[in-house]
Amino acid sequence: MAHQAHAYHMVDPSPWPLTGAVAALLLTSGTAIWMHFNSLVLMTLGLVLLLLTMYQWWRDIIREGTFQGHHTPPVQKGLRYGMILFITSEVFFFLGFFWAFYHSSLAPTPELGGCWPPTGITTLDPFEVPLLNTAVLLASGVTVTWAHHSIMEGQRKQAIQSLTLTILLGFYFTFLQAMEYFEAPFTIADGVYGSTFFVATGFHGLHVIIGSTFLAVCLLRQVQFHFTSEHHFGFEAAAWYWHFVDVVWLFLYISIYWWGS
Amino acid sequence: MAARLLLRSGFRAAAACRAARVPVPTRSMAAGGIPTDEEQATGLEKIIMKAMKDGTDPYNMLKPKSFAGSKADPHLVPSITNKRIVGCVCEEDNTAVVWFWLHEGEAQRCPSCGSHYKLVAHELPH
Repeated sequence: MAHQAHAYHMVDPSPWPLTGAVAALLLTSGTAIWMHFNSLVLMTLGLVLLLLTMYQWWRDIIREGTFQGHHTPPVQKGLRYGMILFITSEVFFFLGFFWAFYHSSLAPTPELGGCWPPTGITTLDPFEVPLLNTAVLLASGVTVTWAHHSIMEGQRKQAIQSLTLTILLGFYFTFLQAMEYFEAPFTIADGVYGSTFFVATGFHGLHVIIGSTFLAVCLLRQVQFHFTSEHHFGFEAAAWYWHFVDVVWLFLYISIYWWGS
Repeated sequence: MAARLLLRSGFRAAAACRAARVPVPTRSMAAGGIPTDEEQATGLEKIIMKAMKDGTDPYNMLKPKSFAGSKADPHLVPSITNKRIVGCVCEEDNTAVVWFWLHEGEAQRCPSCGSHYKLVAHELPH
């Protein structure tokens, strides 16, 4: 162990920030190339590099924290700040799309018929699948809290059961939303209604998939005894992210599905 | 869930009263299946956990002790060598910090406010 008189973690040199930056470059330029010159090579390369970077970087963090004991109280505090700041930045990301939606829907232009929903748009009934989706996500919020308490109380079996249930509910939401997308009477090309609807709900769906993946990683770690009843920040971060995804859906449901119909 | 927990603790209490004195598993791997930090913490996290239980602070996580800074009660400055840089914020909210080297031996005074500082030998925790 290095000689230090402080409790912080001086991380060993790592190649993953560089590979991550290269992946970001390949993804962005690759997407532009795909759109203009019909070649998927660069973008695919970027995607593969991104996935490899994420896997190896987070694997290293797990090694440093769980197996090497570098995540002392001040280090954990820093990780908490980091996750909160990240989620805050995501809140602002979604705020932008809600701004776009309200900008277009509060003062609908003559081109739309001066009304919202615009003329010719058949909206989805908010009390059908969207309401079920709301119930599914709210239930998953309950099960993830159940999982947290199970971990804190040292109950392995319950922790695994409730975490699995949370992930299944997440998958169910994604499945239902995919069905809705397939069956919807309007597309993303249908004026500003289509744009705001699919971009906002689309990014939300992506975040549900990310959150489910995060929780799935936590499930694997829980099965392998990584978490202790006092120290399980990876799980807490996943739970925070999941609650954030749930809250965004509630705003989407109220604004776009219900008020906007 | 709360009701389930209540029921379970009720059953446990009843069983404990009725049954002979059976030793309760204190280690959580034996009890519920999730380890505790006591059982599984490792590395620096474990060292700090043990030190906090003993009441020591080898890695300076807590706020340092407050001294008057007078001749009788000088600021004690720990150092792993025979000198250390001190930055004195003479009055609260001062933006100009007074920096100086503090050497081992007699207490030195801040050139600006005159507070006393004394170097104290300190072992590196590891």
